[in-house]
Amino acid sequence: MQVQTIDHAALLPLYLAAASAVLALFAGRFAKAAMMIGLTAAAIAAVWVGVGPDRAAFNVGEWHSYVADDPAMGAAALFAAVTVLVAGISGRQAGEYWFLLAASASGGIALAGSRDLISLIVALETLTVPLYVLVTKPGRDGAEAGVTFLISSITASATALMGAALLYSAAGTVHLGGLPAGLADADAGLTAAGVALLLGGLAFKLAAAPLHAWAPLVLERAPLPIATYLASASKLGGALAIVWLVHFGLTPGAGAFGDLLPPPEGFPSAPVAQRSAGIVLAALSVASIAVGNLAALAQRRTVPLLAWSGVAHAGYVLAPLAVITTADGREEAGAAASAALAYAVLFVLLEAGAFTALTAVRPGSGDFLASEEGRTPEADLKAGGPPVPDLKADAPVSGLTAGHRRTLAAPDRLGDGGRISELTGLWRTAPLPASLLLFSVIGLAGLPPALAGTFAKVAILEVLASSAVWLAVIVAAGAVVGLAYYLPLARTLLLGRPATLAGGRFAIAVAAIGLALLAASLAPQLVLEFTSVLQ
Amino acid sequence: MSALLVVAVGVPLIGAVLVWAWQHKAFAHWIGVAAAALGLAAAAVLPLGRADGTRMLDSGRFTSGWWHEFDAAWAPSLHLDFSLAVDGVSWPLILLTALLGLLCCVHNAAVIERGKTAPQPREATATATATATATATAEHHTSAPLQVPAATVETGGPFPAADQARGVPAASGRLHPGRFDPGTARPSPTLTSLLLAVQAASTLVFLSDNLILFFIAFEAVLLPMWAIIHRYGDPAARRHAAAKFALFTVAGSLLMATGLFVAVADAGTADLGAIITAGGVSDDVSLLVFTLLATGFAVKAPLWPLHSWLPDAHTAAPTVGSVLLAGVLLKLGTYGLIRVAGGLAPDGAADAAPVLAVLAALGIIVAGLVCLGLPEIKRLIAYSSVGHMGFVVLAFAAGTEAGVRAALFGNLAHGLVTPLLFFLAGALKSRTHTGRLAELGGLRLAAPMLAGLFGFAALASLGLPGLAGFWGEAFTVYAAAERGGAWLALAAVAAFGAFLAAAYLLRMLKRVSHGPVAPAIAGIGDASAAEIAVWSPLVAGTLLLGLMPGPLLALFAEGLL
Repeated sequence: MQVQTIDHAALLPLYLAAASAVLALFAGRFAKAAMMIGLTAAAIAAVWVGVGPDRAAFNVGEWHSYVADDPAMGAAALFAAVTVLVAGISGRQAGEYWFLLAASASGGIALAGSRDLISLIVALETLTVPLYVLVTKPGRDGAEAGVTFLISSITASATALMGAALLYSAAGTVHLGGLPAGLADADAGLTAAGVALLLGGLAFKLAAAPLHAWAPLVLERAPLPIATYLASASKLGGALAIVWLVHFGLTPGAGAFGDLLPPPEGFPSAPVAQRSAGIVLAALSVASIAVGNLAALAQRRTVPLLAWSGVAHAGYVLAPLAVITTADGREEAGAAASAALAYAVLFVLLEAGAFTALTAVRPGSGDFLASEEGRTPEADLKAGGPPVPDLKADAPVSGLTAGHRRTLAAPDRLGDGGRISELTGLWRTAPLPASLLLFSVIGLAGLPPALAGTFAKVAILEVLASSAVWLAVIVAAGAVVGLAYYLPLARTLLLGRPATLAGGRFAIAVAAIGLALLAASLAPQLVLEFTSVLQ
Repeated sequence: MSALLVVAVGVPLIGAVLVWAWQHKAFAHWIGVAAAALGLAAAAVLPLGRADGTRMLDSGRFTSGWWHEFDAAWAPSLHLDFSLAVDGVSWPLILLTALLGLLCCVHNAAVIERGKTAPQPREATATATATATATATAEHHTSAPLQVPAATVETGGPFPAADQARGVPAASGRLHPGRFDPGTARPSPTLTSLLLAVQAASTLVFLSDNLILFFIAFEAVLLPMWAIIHRYGDPAARRHAAAKFALFTVAGSLLMATGLFVAVADAGTADLGAIITAGGVSDDVSLLVFTLLATGFAVKAPLWPLHSWLPDAHTAAPTVGSVLLAGVLLKLGTYGLIRVAGGLAPDGAADAAPVLAVLAALGIIVAGLVCLGLPEIKRLIAYSSVGHMGFVVLAFAAGTEAGVRAALFGNLAHGLVTPLLFFLAGALKSRTHTGRLAELGGLRLAAPMLAGLFGFAALASLGLPGLAGFWGEAFTVYAAAERGGAWLALAAVAAFGAFLAAAYLLRMLKRVSHGPVAPAIAGIGDASAAEIAVWSPLVAGTLLLGLMPGPLLALFAEGLL
């Protein structure tokens, strides 16, 4: 047993993020500031490490458990930045909130550098576990969301762990760099089962069908800032885990021992690991595109609409990875992984934009975990009634109409995404958040002038067109269906008489993510360069 | 000179932004006019100092025969460069786009769409106080219920509610009653802004020398046009029409994008000129590329049976929207088909030509037959576009030199004649508040100048020798017949389609211009000076192309195809 070398500079962003989490736990009223400053420092450190030469830590031979190359550090910086953004739109919260958020961000940063199955799964768990608490708003709906998330997440983790264990038993190594060589002459059934289970479990984080059902429910009932985090940073985690696994672990040529393998000739002679991974990814992708788009068509509430469309976008992220099934695709495995990563990053930025704008315009979307015993919630002041426990709200109360009962349950509904129709005429009342939301929605639809989304679509279609035209056609069909719900949403924002006069809040956060999206639209090379995994 | 390429795209775009920013100022319309005029000027001087339009053997490889080129890196990892180029094929279309953009902006700024100038006797007896034009209009519709069957999307009219909301968003929260008055109604500057955005994006499509940029520009046309139809269209049909337009267009453009990316992956470059000069993509993907591209462009062109979005969109769009749809957006499809699909995959085009030709010929006949029975004038003009574009596609499918030139010529002629028809139909509908042929008649007595222009445009559209429409269609028939064999049958079908076009256009003319003066027509004003000013460039262009087709054909000959 040799002692692994540790390059502390490579781990600097992770150290900073973890330190800011600890600091937030003990900093009391300065927790928010400490956490935001700490994570900003982590983002800057990630950029600094990324700009410098590639570093690695925890080496075993030529394999590393932790790598600080450009894509990893870019993703780490994005994790930290999105978390700072979420903190910026969270309003006033208790100290634990900041600790949990920073802990989750540390998990994301660790995930970005992970290059073996165990640290990958542990990092993913670190990213997820704090969210069990954060998604749970007080009240019955919140509890339901929390329990749903907990159960489905644990199921997915167990599935992924099982898959990782099978892969380890087949390949004899957990390092992604060693997997291709290890799997080359491994038992076919074991490999296929391991790959399928692991990918299926990881796809849960990305909310890809068939493990998508938690997303609309949890996002709708979670507090909006946490929904922002779930829709952006958390999904980026899932996408990263899958891209790392497929690109570094299952694609010969990218791993350290890739040269030992002869280039595969055609479909039948392709290694089992790639074939099963390709089939699983294609199935996940097509299912997500179909389920997500069709379900989104029927949504009348904003957050579920975005959540279901997010399922479809998970399918678009996975689509380019599926091309490793085909011979053409394997030659372009690097380009495919880069495209998937670029799509994931741009999609995450757009989702963050949409949810940030929504948080900014929805009343009472902050302040939900703040210790405010003795304070009457805002909605109660408006409703003119005392807070009534939710469990009793459903009990038959004589003299209360159904409408009144709903009013009493209002604190529970406080700060959710609301119906789409409630956004009518937002353009007039809150131009800044409305333009951000509009830009994000049009970008998610992939249309100019929101070029960030167009570039994302171009990136994946370029890969698909050259190696799997049928999948490109499915992606195109999905995008057409997507337009059928994005355009009405855009129209709602622009036209009509506004129902409320609520202006926007969190102007700095809204402006920050807006500028990020604008930068990605005008200079896509910024994103494309760091998402390129071609070495 | 190559900076002018950027100016031609950038000026309308900046104009769009400025008009949007100052939309509540009185001079907003004129900013739009100025931007469009500058754009037209930039487009007009593009041939100056042009490079020799032949392909030169330069240091061992063919360089493409562009007049001017502009190149700037944007996102190399996506093969995306901001590279613009112009030649004899794209320049006339750019000029046409800039001209139509200017005319539409002037139309918005200067042409006051008027209702009837004098109250009719019938209305005066019905209600003595019906002096305000708006009231008179409303009364007119309610007083004659038996003549107005229920409006449907299919009949395209008459949408009684439509007439009072021209150019004004129906759901806008800032309306005040005065803006409903048709006597003073003027489209919102936002419409001008959207028009300029469409113009900028379309110009970018015609100019782009990079396939990814081409795709992005192609997509960029969609949203402003969707907004024009959705916000300023006929209230009874606009939602349906706008949604249909958007979904068809996106489906087409994503299929086209897939084809483009297959071509880019095969050629290893996204430079349009380089791929064309290299002879297109390799043989094994040629048919696939052409099929994907042609399907995408066929939606836009539109080619039967993918045309069904067109009648709805053109009928529901406001006048300027229809003008741009017919004059510019359809050209995106045919330009793409001829230059991009034909240029990238010449082998695939040759293989697929029979299918394309049969569909085009069927489209010509179907459009002719449908037009014979359509009861609404705007829908009739819209449907006639399907026939005209059928001619263009048939000529392209013939694949001979004469055929491709006929396609390009017919394309341009349609871009002059059909917008003129839409302008005239818009003027007529804004005066009479009905587009139903059954309710029109006697226009030559009530408004002789308008009727004369109608006759001129209809004759140009049906292909009278000496006017622009003739050359494209005549040479199409010639090119198809030249191929011999089964193509002779297609030529005959196309010739029969031209006969049908004459039949339905003359029927329209008879219903609108001749006969006794219909109640709806009585008392309308003739064409105003501003209207004449907007229409006259189109009339002049139609005459010019009809009398002197030579220079334009020579331009096409030196183009890069």
